Amino acid sequence: MGLKKLTEKLAAYFERLETGQTHEIKPDHVRKVLEKLHAKEAELRDRLARAETDEKRAHLQQKLQVTQEHISRAEYLLTAIERAD
Amino acid sequence: MRRFFLPVALGALIFAFWLNPSVQDIAAGVAIFLFGMLMLEDGFRLLSGGLLERILQASTRSTPRAVLFGTVSTALLQSSSLVSVITISFLSTGLISLIGGVGVIFGANIGTTTGAWLVAGLGLKVNIAAFAMPMIALSIVLVFQKAKPLRGIGYALAGMGFLFLGIHYMKVGFDSFNDEIDLARFAMEGVAGLVVFSLIGAVATVIMQSSHATMTLIITALAAGQITYDNALALAIGANIGTTITAIIGALSANFQGKRLALAHFIFNTLTAFVALVLIVPLRELVDWISAALGIGAADYALKLAVFHSVFNLLGLALMLPALTPLIEFLTRRFPRPRLDISEPHFLSDAVDAFPETLEAALRKELVHLYENAAGILLKGLNLNQQQVYDSEDIPALVRASREAVEIDMDAAYEQRIKTLYAAIVDYATHIGSDDQHPERIERIHALRDVASDIVQAVKSVKHLRKNILHHTTAERGAVTGIYDDLRAEIARIVAEIRLLGQTPPEQRSALWLDQERATVEDRARHTTQKVDALIRARHLSAADATSFLNDSGYAFAAMRDLIEAARSFYIERDPAIAAVEHLVSLDLEEMHETLKGDAPP
Repeated sequence: MGLKKLTEKLAAYFERLETGQTHEIKPDHVRKVLEKLHAKEAELRDRLARAETDEKRAHLQQKLQVTQEHISRAEYLLTAIERAD
Repeated sequence: MRRFFLPVALGALIFAFWLNPSVQDIAAGVAIFLFGMLMLEDGFRLLSGGLLERILQASTRSTPRAVLFGTVSTALLQSSSLVSVITISFLSTGLISLIGGVGVIFGANIGTTTGAWLVAGLGLKVNIAAFAMPMIALSIVLVFQKAKPLRGIGYALAGMGFLFLGIHYMKVGFDSFNDEIDLARFAMEGVAGLVVFSLIGAVATVIMQSSHATMTLIITALAAGQITYDNALALAIGANIGTTITAIIGALSANFQGKRLALAHFIFNTLTAFVALVLIVPLRELVDWISAALGIGAADYALKLAVFHSVFNLLGLALMLPALTPLIEFLTRRFPRPRLDISEPHFLSDAVDAFPETLEAALRKELVHLYENAAGILLKGLNLNQQQVYDSEDIPALVRASREAVEIDMDAAYEQRIKTLYAAIVDYATHIGSDDQHPERIERIHALRDVASDIVQAVKSVKHLRKNILHHTTAERGAVTGIYDDLRAEIARIVAEIRLLGQTPPEQRSALWLDQERATVEDRARHTTQKVDALIRARHLSAADATSFLNDSGYAFAAMRDLIEAARSFYIERDPAIAAVEHLVSLDLEEMHETLKGDAPP
């Protein structure tokens, strides 16, 4: 599936943007989200290093995986928005 | 007393109209002037579109800035009452500090002096009625426009026009009065004159509810020679006292912050008035000196009164600013913060009603209050200690160790700590949200109301679990205790995660953090039935217990979904463009499983 759904969502966003139904996303908006995501990634790594139980470690590991996926999607989005800008 | 006021006031006016028709012009002038002030207020409210509130928040970070804001905003609005109402609303909802609020009120007193300059400098020197008519005529075209800024300009323009027209009628009234009656013969000299005319100024301001209108009346009467300059000075001092009486009456129904502010206003004006009365002779000389320096004619008493009004208010500011810190300490001691009743709303109050622009901020704070109450009830309902859950590094272990029954009457707790708060949130969000406000703000307010509903639903769901939680988790009963412990741990973990999200600085916070929680809940909900089936097959769980558990797990997962949805809506990015980015980046359940493939939660 990869980024297929994101591509679809992005196409829908550009359609809504053309009709003035949504707020325009600028590269800076994506960069701000990326900043938050990288800070979260660092925080999760820190919590993971301090986790004492396997259950906690597994849970944090999953969170980290999700955050990393968010980061790769945000980076893809940044490229797309920069191209469109 | 109040019952008699209206008939007596109306009767006195009708009698005065009969006695001398010129009074009609003066009274109509005052009425038109007050009407103009109201329109000006409405106009600026529409025009500012939240700008005034944003500036207020930013400008109260230091006392000089707060004083400047009070001065400039009052000069622009020509009404210290609107500035006071906004300040009380912001103070009551905790958006500004008491010292900032007091600074604004002090500044508002300086700002009101611009009104005297406007009337004495422009109103009496120029035929302002000639400006008033076209202003009113043009304004009505703008008032009927759909666009809010245009309507705002229309109301403000009409307000200015009516202010000018009111001044004109007061002037006409006093001019024709001159031909028939000479009020100046009632002039009083010396201390008696100071005291009597100060009292008259105070009473006139209480009746008209506006020191600005009183000052205009005094200046026009002075220009018409109906009162003496000395008596006009005393009337101006009295108007400053009268305006605090209006504020005190208004503060009687306000919360402790409103009372503190009203007392600060009273102290400022009374002290200033007292000093002005005591130092009237040197002040008069100072006014003469300043007037001469400014090129104001020795006989231009109207402008000299405006100078006096500014000088004695500035004197008050100079006296009070160095004493600001002890004043704040005194106010805080005099009206201490009442002990908060957690069952009552803390932030939604009449002050929010008076200035609906503060509603969103007050609602957000009240929702945090509701959530804290709900979290306490939820965790107690699960036989868990709230603080231990928040402090725990290993929630499942804490849950397994929590076998003591925690006493709580869920129905009573719901009635006391949830229902009243929820009712207040729904009430404020519904009746203020329906007013003519920005559509995006109404949408946000309705979204906040839905957050409250989700929190309440979560508490109701846990209420259903309580009986079986008590039965199965206060003693070790094998597999059934284990699966109920799993439910308890899952809810507790979500409550703790939401708290963590709340503690994260807003610039680092994102609703995206809840994506994974949402996926975990759905995953666990799906696996619960398989787990129960396996336990029944292995004869670790009776069919009766399994049925009860499946029923209870439905409530538990509903509570978890409601809590996550509430947190997601509450912490959603407020910048719409960033919210759109987060929406694009977020993962749906299918994408989440794809991401975590082969790494299913235990």
